This record gives sequence, structure tokens and C-alpha cells, in this order.
Amino acid sequence: MLANVTRLDLRLRRRSMIWYAAGMALYALVVVVLYPSFRHQTSLDTLSGSTAAALFGITGKLTSPDGWLNANIYGNFFPLIMLLLTVGYGAAALAGQDEDGTLALVTALPIRRRVILFQKAGAMAVQALLLGAAVAVCVLIGRGFQLSVSPANTIAVSAALVLMGLDFGLITMAAGVVTGRRGTALGVGAGLAAASYLVSSLASTISGIRPARYLSLLYWSAGSDQISHGVSALDFAVLLVVGLAALAAAVAAFGQADLS
Amino acid sequence: MAGVIETSGLTKRYGGVTAVSDLNLQVEAGQFFGFLGPNGAGKSTTIRMLMALQRPTQGRATLFGLDAAADSVTVHRRVGYLPGDLELYPRLTGRQHIDWFARSRGSVDDSSTQRLLERFAVVADRPVRELSKGNRQKIGLVLAFMHKPELLVLDEPTSGLDPLMQHEFENLLRETAGEGRTVFLSSHELDEVQRIADRIAIIRDGRLVAEDTVEGLRRAAPQKMEVWFRRPVDPAGLQALAGVTVTSADGPRLALDVTGEIGPVLRLIAGNDPIDMTCRPADLEELFLDFYRHPQKKAVSHAG
Repeated sequence: MLANVTRLDLRLRRRSMIWYAAGMALYALVVVVLYPSFRHQTSLDTLSGSTAAALFGITGKLTSPDGWLNANIYGNFFPLIMLLLTVGYGAAALAGQDEDGTLALVTALPIRRRVILFQKAGAMAVQALLLGAAVAVCVLIGRGFQLSVSPANTIAVSAALVLMGLDFGLITMAAGVVTGRRGTALGVGAGLAAASYLVSSLASTISGIRPARYLSLLYWSAGSDQISHGVSALDFAVLLVVGLAALAAAVAAFGQADLS
Repeated sequence: MAGVIETSGLTKRYGGVTAVSDLNLQVEAGQFFGFLGPNGAGKSTTIRMLMALQRPTQGRATLFGLDAAADSVTVHRRVGYLPGDLELYPRLTGRQHIDWFARSRGSVDDSSTQRLLERFAVVADRPVRELSKGNRQKIGLVLAFMHKPELLVLDEPTSGLDPLMQHEFENLLRETAGEGRTVFLSSHELDEVQRIADRIAIIRDGRLVAEDTVEGLRRAAPQKMEVWFRRPVDPAGLQALAGVTVTSADGPRLALDVTGEIGPVLRLIAGNDPIDMTCRPADLEELFLDFYRHPQKKAVSHAG
């Protein structure tokens, strides 16, 4: 049974959560259903390798199942939607609700602040998992449309992108607690995510950026062709450690924060 | 007797701005304590520190002998709180708010909640965004009272309520105080609290400027004298007397505030050929406004 604060926030975001998941699932379904129409158009493969293609997260052969999924889902659109969801909630969950004035009522209840924060992180995880599951299921349906990718890799990359989204969401949440401002938190989260995306996608074609790819959470989730090779234990470890560090920072800051 | 609320040297600064300065308060069990002051005086900041929403820069606040911040979970279980600028979740109905808060608190008697809903004619089945300020405030009151807390901390609770509901709320406060529960209520309107408060504290610019019973404050209020003479008089003689302030000198008419002995004043008036005089105690409203206007006026009392 979900905790009370988690349930409240999920209820408040029920519509957006459903639309995010349904919209992303529909998009993923269209992508997999269209694959048979494109798989023999090898001229598309010439797009790969250019900086412009890299900017859109396109790596490898576009007409291969892995390349098709990277170019249309895992390299760009899915991380973007995931980040919109988690960074948006990360900014709203504490700083936003404090600005709205509703957080005071919750913190005046007999609930420890850190428990409130854990439950809000839980609400974020539920939203991200729903989105990740919707995409994974739709991609697996693609096996019926000649899109034969490893189910294990599909699930692992979806899970890694869920973790990546949670990392940025928790960083945004921590920034919101420290600054007390939803707008600033959104700026921090979105700015870091954009930088992470650029570094990860351009590292494949611009050698000067290549060493910086280790700083990108996109690189550790889907940016190093995990859909083909799987997500390593190191990938998961990096994503987990960053998430736990952001959670710890948010807990420490929220414990001392002045609320309105 | 140990205070239900005690603050010692409670201070809150925001950068270079001091919102609350060296505040020492004691509210005893069963007391109805009115916390008065103009807008921006530091009332809400004090209440936020009592509710551990904000941390004091200096000093300490305890509730039931427990630290407001360190023991906030235990404290909050025993407190009902209504924030000054109440904000609810716009998409949820009043009933959904009440159900959620009841689940979070754990032990709330449904029948007493229902009685509160009926008593305040709460519109419980429409989303909060469709409700007027007064109807939202009524939901806030139900949330504060529904678990029958030992202490109620209410920040400007009648804001937005119509006179009928204000009257009903006043009755509820009387019943609450009658049950031996403690009420700490902030307001910028004296009238709201003077009829039922046991004690009143007045805060201005973050500092306590007065604390006493309503009767004590009334007793400390100056006598308002108005004297008409046969011809214009020089007010300097009266002004020189201890405890006398000449508030108006208009030819043969003088208005005085007298807080000291009345004998020397009467003797001096008698020597100037008076033709008429009125004398009445200042009402509390005048005293209250006087505290608002003159921060230097210190009448802090702990008699009780």
C-alpha cells in the first residue's frame, strides 16, 4: 500500500501521469509499427555518423532494430519525456508546493520531514516507472513487427532511463529545497539534463567532448548503445549512486529549510 | 505551572531584516491567548517557528515542554494548525482534503468531523478551486479542529468568514476553551479576541510591546479628560504634570490623557476657571491603536 503523501501527489498528478504514459506509449507503438516500412531503406543508414545525426541521438545503422529504437525512442524522445516528467515533478513536489502554500499543511502534520521527502521521491519513482513500463511493453510488442531486440536489453535500458530520470528529478528536488524556488529548481534540473544530453550525443562524433561523456547520465543509461550491448552493472551503479547522493542532499536540505 | 507554549529569546532574521526579536512568551494550559499586532508585525513568523516550519535564528520555542523543531512529530500530533494564508489543493474537494488529513493523523472521530462540517455549513463536495475564500477557510477550520487537539494554533482564523460564521467560530472557541484546551490565536483586530481571550500579547516590529489580561490592559488604559474653560488657557502647566499628556489644545478646550494621580490635575484645572469637564477610561481599541502607533510605549506585564 502506498504511503499517504505518495498517494496524494499521485492523485494530484493523475491526469498528467496518464497522459505522459499514454502519449509516450502511443508514440512508441507508432515507431515499432512503422519499422517494417523502413527496415529495407538502407539509404537511411548514411545519416549515421554525422554530427547533425548525433545531435538527435542517432547512432549506428538506422535500419537495424537497435539503431531504429535508438534513433526514435531511446536516444532522444523517451529521455526527453522522462525528464519533463521527473524534472517537472522534482521542482513542483517541494519548492512548488511551498510556493503554492500547500506544503505548510503537510509539514504541520505528525510526519517527519524526511519521511515526506521519501514519500515524494516514491511518487516520482511510480510516475517514472509507469512511463518506463509503458515504453518497454510497446517496444516488446515490436517483436511482432520484425523489431527483434533483446527483451532483457529493452527492459534494462528502460530501467536505466527510469533511473536517469529519477537522478535528474531528485537533483531538481534538492535544488528546489535549497533555493526555495520552483523556477530556479526547474532551471537547474533542465540545464543539467540538456548539458548531459548534448555531451552524450556529441561525444560520438566530436573527439574533444569524448572524455566528458562520463559526466553525462545519458551516457550511463542509453547513450553508449546499451540497447545493443545491455546495461552493465557499472552503468546501474553510477545511476544509483548519483540518485542516492541527490536524495541525501535533498533530505539534508529539507531538514533545515524554512517553509512559508 | 508549565506553559503549553514557551518561547525564550525567540528571534528570526532574514538577512539583515529582523522579523521577530527576543520574544518571550508563556501560554498556560487551558488558556485562550490572543496574539495581536498590525500586519507585518511578526505574528505569522512566530507561529511558523512554533509549528517548526521555520527555524529560529536564536532562542527556542517549546510546546508541551518539547522542542518545537526536534520533537515536531510528537508536538504536531497534539496541535491543530490553521495557517494565515491558507492554501488548499485546488482540484480536491473539501471532503477529499478532510479524508486525506484524517488518514494522515490516524485517529479522527468521523462523527465530530461531521458535526463540524454541519456547524460551519462546509461545501464539502465541490473542488476547492470553485469555492469562495470564506468557504475554503471553513475547510481549514475543520482540518484544524477535527482531531480535537489539545492546542490550537490559529493564524488570522476569521479571515474571509461572514459575520454569521465568525459568530459560530467564536462559539466554537468558547467551547474549546471550556473543555480546557489551549488556544493561541493571532489577529490584527482587537475586537476579534478581546471578548474571549484570557490574555493578550501585542507585538509590533517583531517585539513584544504588551502582555497582560484584557482587564489588566483595560486598567492600564489612560483616563480621557476633556475640559472647557471660560477663556483660553496655556496647557504648559498641565503638560508638566507627571502622567499627563495634552492631546489637544483648542482655545478654551483641552483634551488630556491621564495615567497618573488625578488630584494634581483637578487642582490645576480648578484654578483656571473651568466650566465643564468629562472624564472616561480609554477603551481598549484606543489603547491598542496607541501600541500600534508608538513602538516605544512599553507596558509589558507578566501579571496574570
